[in-house]
Amino acid sequence: MTIQEAPMIKITNLEKFYRTEEVETIALNKLSIEIATGEFVAIMGPSGCGKSTLLNILGMLDDPDAGSYVFNDIEVAHFTERKRADLRKHNIGFVFQSFNLIDELTVFENVELPLIYTGVAASERVKRVEEVLDKMQIMHRRNHYPQQLSGGQQQRVAIARAVVNKPKLILADEPTGNLDSSNGNDVMELLTDLNEQGTTIIMVTHSEHDARYSHRIIRLLDGQSVMENIMV
Amino acid sequence: MIKNYIKTAFRSLLKNKGFTVINILGLALGLATCLLIVLYVVDELSYDRYNTKAARIYRVNEDLKLGDNSVKYAVCMPPLAKTLKTEYPFVENAVRLKNAGTSHIKKGNFNISENRIAFADPALFDVFTLPMINGNPSSALAEPNSVVITETTAQKYFNSTNAVGKTLLFNDNTLCKVTGVIKDIPKQSHFNFDFFISMSSFADSRSNEWLRSDYNTYVLLKDASDAKKLEAGFPDLLKKYSGAQMQAELNMSIEAFEKSGSYFRMNLIPLTDIHLHGSLSGELGPNTTTQYIYIFSAIGIFILLIACVNFMNLSTARSSNRAREVGVRKVLGSPRKYLIAQFLTESTLLTFFATLIAFVAAILLLPLFNQLSGKEILITARSLAWILPVLLFIVLFIGALSGSYPAFYLSSFQPVDVLKGKLVAGFKGGRLRSFLVVFQFSISIILIVGTLVVYNQLNYIQTKNLGYNRNQVLIVQNVFELNKQAKIFKQEMKEIPGVINATMTGFLPTSHWSNTAIYYRDASLDQKRSMFPQSWEIDEDYVNTLSMQMTAGRSFSRDMQTDSTGIVINEAAAKFLGFKEPLNKTIYRSLGGKNTIDNVRKYHIVGVVKDFNFNSLRQAVEPVVMTLAENNGALSIRVNTTNLPALLSQIKDKWRNIAPNVQINYSFMDQEFDASYRSEQLTGKVAVVLTSLAILIACLGLFGLAAYAAEQRTKEIGIRKVLGASVSAIAGMLSKDFIKLVFIAILISAPAAWYLMNKWLQGFAYRISIQWWILVLAGVAALFIAVITVSFQSIKAAIANPVDSLKNE
Repeated sequence: MTIQEAPMIKITNLEKFYRTEEVETIALNKLSIEIATGEFVAIMGPSGCGKSTLLNILGMLDDPDAGSYVFNDIEVAHFTERKRADLRKHNIGFVFQSFNLIDELTVFENVELPLIYTGVAASERVKRVEEVLDKMQIMHRRNHYPQQLSGGQQQRVAIARAVVNKPKLILADEPTGNLDSSNGNDVMELLTDLNEQGTTIIMVTHSEHDARYSHRIIRLLDGQSVMENIMV
Repeated sequence: MIKNYIKTAFRSLLKNKGFTVINILGLALGLATCLLIVLYVVDELSYDRYNTKAARIYRVNEDLKLGDNSVKYAVCMPPLAKTLKTEYPFVENAVRLKNAGTSHIKKGNFNISENRIAFADPALFDVFTLPMINGNPSSALAEPNSVVITETTAQKYFNSTNAVGKTLLFNDNTLCKVTGVIKDIPKQSHFNFDFFISMSSFADSRSNEWLRSDYNTYVLLKDASDAKKLEAGFPDLLKKYSGAQMQAELNMSIEAFEKSGSYFRMNLIPLTDIHLHGSLSGELGPNTTTQYIYIFSAIGIFILLIACVNFMNLSTARSSNRAREVGVRKVLGSPRKYLIAQFLTESTLLTFFATLIAFVAAILLLPLFNQLSGKEILITARSLAWILPVLLFIVLFIGALSGSYPAFYLSSFQPVDVLKGKLVAGFKGGRLRSFLVVFQFSISIILIVGTLVVYNQLNYIQTKNLGYNRNQVLIVQNVFELNKQAKIFKQEMKEIPGVINATMTGFLPTSHWSNTAIYYRDASLDQKRSMFPQSWEIDEDYVNTLSMQMTAGRSFSRDMQTDSTGIVINEAAAKFLGFKEPLNKTIYRSLGGKNTIDNVRKYHIVGVVKDFNFNSLRQAVEPVVMTLAENNGALSIRVNTTNLPALLSQIKDKWRNIAPNVQINYSFMDQEFDASYRSEQLTGKVAVVLTSLAILIACLGLFGLAAYAAEQRTKEIGIRKVLGASVSAIAGMLSKDFIKLVFIAILISAPAAWYLMNKWLQGFAYRISIQWWILVLAGVAALFIAVITVSFQSIKAAIANPVDSLKNE
């Protein structure tokens, strides 16, 4: 495993607040982190420590209130939604705890969706979706709807969907949170495989067990990084 | 991409079958109803438009004011048509029609009674578009005793449309030669005759009198814009002709006539306006008013609005369930415009199906609707030519409108918010939705109030004491065909057991026979003290047979020799004349011509009859005077029997003994009465049906909304139940929000309904006042319907097992 010189992600003094009428909550407090291309990083911490906020900002679903976010040498902290969306769909895949598959679409169509949005030709789409379904071993379920699948199978579909566009970065938000341990392990193996093939993975998790699959654990508390463990 | 939208839309619709069905059916129902109303309105508006020259055809109307009486006539002076054509170069042609009343026409050995007969000038076929199948239109009505008949009539009498040259015998004495067969006149015509007899057969048509009005006169202008010019010339024309005759006959100048406050004027009404604006004296057929067009159009628009509101409400309520889908799609890189397109595709698809169903439903319901509304509407290739584009427009418009909210609102969500579950985009924030619910319930309540008021008013008309008893009165309509033997027939009738009394005259409260005359209050024959009442000819049995009441004096009696110069007047006439003690007062009837004392007939008042309604109850009772005379227009027989068929057969036997070759033609007075309120009754019936539909559609929407509200709050309901809430508390909580909206709707709509219906009632001289309970009843009804609709869903949600709802999360 090699770590290149320039980091894929560099955030510096990142801040994010949530305001309600009376209270201002600091979700991220001058957080600075670097993540290199090819890394597999786990983010841990108690509820409300800012894990999900960080993941959303890293995934360009949300923008920070202050600080800098450089993605592949591009400052994206103040990108417009449109520009972020464009960057996002070509570079980042998402895996959610609750899978977030679209119920009205079949397995095949769910996986195909990112390719439609990036304008891949239909014949090429079929090829790539089949390829990735094959890899995830759910080819036989291609014409089923999400409700007809087990949780483990749904998460495989979700991962297939996340990787079909060959993103450089996969963001996983508690990918095993809704799965039993056996299915959970399968999912972690899949992510490890992907990482070994060169995809950078950032995963938010509560599970020490899952975190052990990563190279590095960043522990957050009250919006700040309090500890980093490098896994051996 | 569009394939993907449609595919997703289809699946999404199929997945929520209940929603889809409610949504499509609600909209389809609304559209179908609206389509029928549009067909109705278009039919009403299309009257007389079959005439290719319709835009250039006008009818001359006349307004007459004499003392305090004013009358609007659809008829004019006999020589007017001829004069207009010769004096005004821009009058291309002019034609007169005169209703010829009832005749019997011989077919084989039998006489058939016909009443759709008119005298017509030869220009008829130049002015109106009445295509002739057989015969020469330019000469068909030139010769006396020529008759042009319709296709159906030709078939009826000659079993063929090849009838030119054949003859028809009218009233056993006049032989007419058939000179033309025309196509049946379209139903949408303000006159509908089967026989047109040449005007030259009718001697009176050559009259040169300018002081009477009895010919329906139509002009065909060279250019429609000449109408103003023609109207501008009328005062001079009247001065020239009527004025001259007035001077000669009445010894009065038209200036003096006008100075006394009287006048006669003429004006033009476009042919195509007659059906909707013409309820004047002397119309050729029953017309309608624009009021019903407005009412129906309003109801149609209301129903469509309610249906669209439903559609939007359900679509948006449901779309909150799809926030997650929107979030996922955005995370995966979908641009906003794709999402907008997707939602619009979905709503357009829904609208398309609804429209399709509505179209088929409207076609299937058309016969029923025709029966209900008394119309004969057909969907033809010509009507499809405008219906289909309108439907297409509706699909696109409603599709876009109802899809716009989810499309633009949902697609604007930040995906991170949606996925976090921050946006329960749904129900509670739906201020727009609350507004729409209030809106549709307000309309529903207005419609309920409207229907109740219309029904009450109709009921009032039907049960009002009209001053005579119309029940159990049989009217022999063609007793005049017995000629001199009519009197014998009457006598024979009175002898039948079960017959209480019989009176012979055409002047009946239900018959619309009309005869006006000028009466002077005293011997000075002062115009200002003249009265212009209905002057009816009755016999001694009239008042008793019709169960009218005398408020003073007596009715005519056989035993009183002097009754031939006696007169019975109604209360309105007594009031008009201003007599405190009317009995034995003398009034003077003008015999036409000069108003000198030699030119009047004196009558002494023998009795005052309690006012009875003979016009529509829309109008106040006018003055009526009745003189003793033989009039065999009809025989009214008051019967009292439990075995009507037996009595009828006795009556028919007697008739047959006298006139074996003439068919008796009879009806019942209460039916005649009902017939004169047919348009009101039909309107009432149609309004009830439409209101029910409107409420049904509104409820369908509320039902769907309640279902979604409950679904949105599944988790909340689960938590509340775990914490110990009872089913009733939860059902109440869920229902409360909607009930509140219906309450607001009641507050808004009650005054509006009260105002609108009062305006409608203003059209009746005899009317109910709107009782407070009608408004309360309508409100309670709306509330009740809403509670039932909503609580079904609320209770269903409330009794669900909380474990299931909480597990979902």
